Amino acid sequence: MSPTCWNCGKPAPSRFCAECRALQPPASDYFAFFEIPRALAPDLKDLEKRFYALSRQLHPDLFSRKSAREQEYSLESTAILNDAYRVLKDPVARTLYVLKQEGFDVGEQSTKDVPPELLEEVFELNMALEELRMGDEDARPQLEAARARFRKMRDELDADLQRQFAGWDASQRAETLAAVRALLNRRKYITNLIDKASHVPDRV
Amino acid sequence: MAYSDKVLDHYNNPRNVGSLDKSSASVGTGMVGAPECGDVMKLQIRVNEENGIIEDAKFKTFGCGSAIASSSLATEWLKGKTVDEALQIKNTDIVNELSLPPVKIHCSVLAEDAIKAAISDYRNKQGSKAPVAVEQTVA
Ligand code: FES
Ligand SMILES: [Zn+2]
Repeated sequence: MSPTCWNCGKPAPSRFCAECRALQPPASDYFAFFEIPRALAPDLKDLEKRFYALSRQLHPDLFSRKSAREQEYSLESTAILNDAYRVLKDPVARTLYVLKQEGFDVGEQSTKDVPPELLEEVFELNMALEELRMGDEDARPQLEAARARFRKMRDELDADLQRQFAGWDASQRAETLAAVRALLNRRKYITNLIDKASHVPDRV
Repeated sequence: MAYSDKVLDHYNNPRNVGSLDKSSASVGTGMVGAPECGDVMKLQIRVNEENGIIEDAKFKTFGCGSAIASSSLATEWLKGKTVDEALQIKNTDIVNELSLPPVKIHCSVLAEDAIKAAISDYRNKQGSKAPVAVEQTVA
């Protein structure tokens, strides 16, 4: 949001100018847009309420008789509203968004970001699946055990993530974000493993 | 997305699929994973300890067609090269040879990193069995 109202020039307007009520251009940061603090574990009930309230306030129909500029801001605001809500309500997308806003390079990951002990597991699981597909039933119990193990790993990881989320929301330390980032990487692998282990070929 | 003919060729007839004896001192094993997609690749080399030439290379990749083609191509290139020459192989060489599109570049990076990891593993083994403490060069 700009420091002065585009319409009347009065200082520091919020979404609507306090003076002339004109709609201001939307904040591009999703948290700022919802006027909530940047957080890894925001209050989702509150977020939902804000989303519905803003959907009503910003609806382009309400601006059909306003200036072209306000109509445009209403369209822009509605677009950001939808993007922001989609990202912020999803735990993984939201975390990646916070990482990005905090200056972490989320696009550039290297093979070093992958936990080595997990790689062995991924490999063995893939081998077992392949054997099973070729009709080797001995691999089945191994696979079922693996699936249970990975589910447990994911649950533990999610609990760990929740703790880190709360930690960062309380103190905003960069180290916490680095830990969150590493946990997310692990989670991706484990989710992948569970997916794979869930599509076990049927007994032939 | 359309794969190039070379990718399809390696994908349909992958060269050097398999494994080498992981516990042998002349074998280096590299296992890497791509954080973006969760794919994994294992690449192994067997080195002639006398002259440092890579005599055999095997891979096993669970991943996309480009990752399979990249590792298949890498094993072909590795054979007959010295370990030092092998370290010169860059993912961009693979990208060019296979005409990989930008979204598939990370698949070739996986192959380059697997080569490096295998060589590093081999050198670690050689370093630790040498009687005199030689300086370890880990890639
Ligand atoms: S998409 Fe994962 S290695 Fe190619
Ligand atoms: Zn105003």
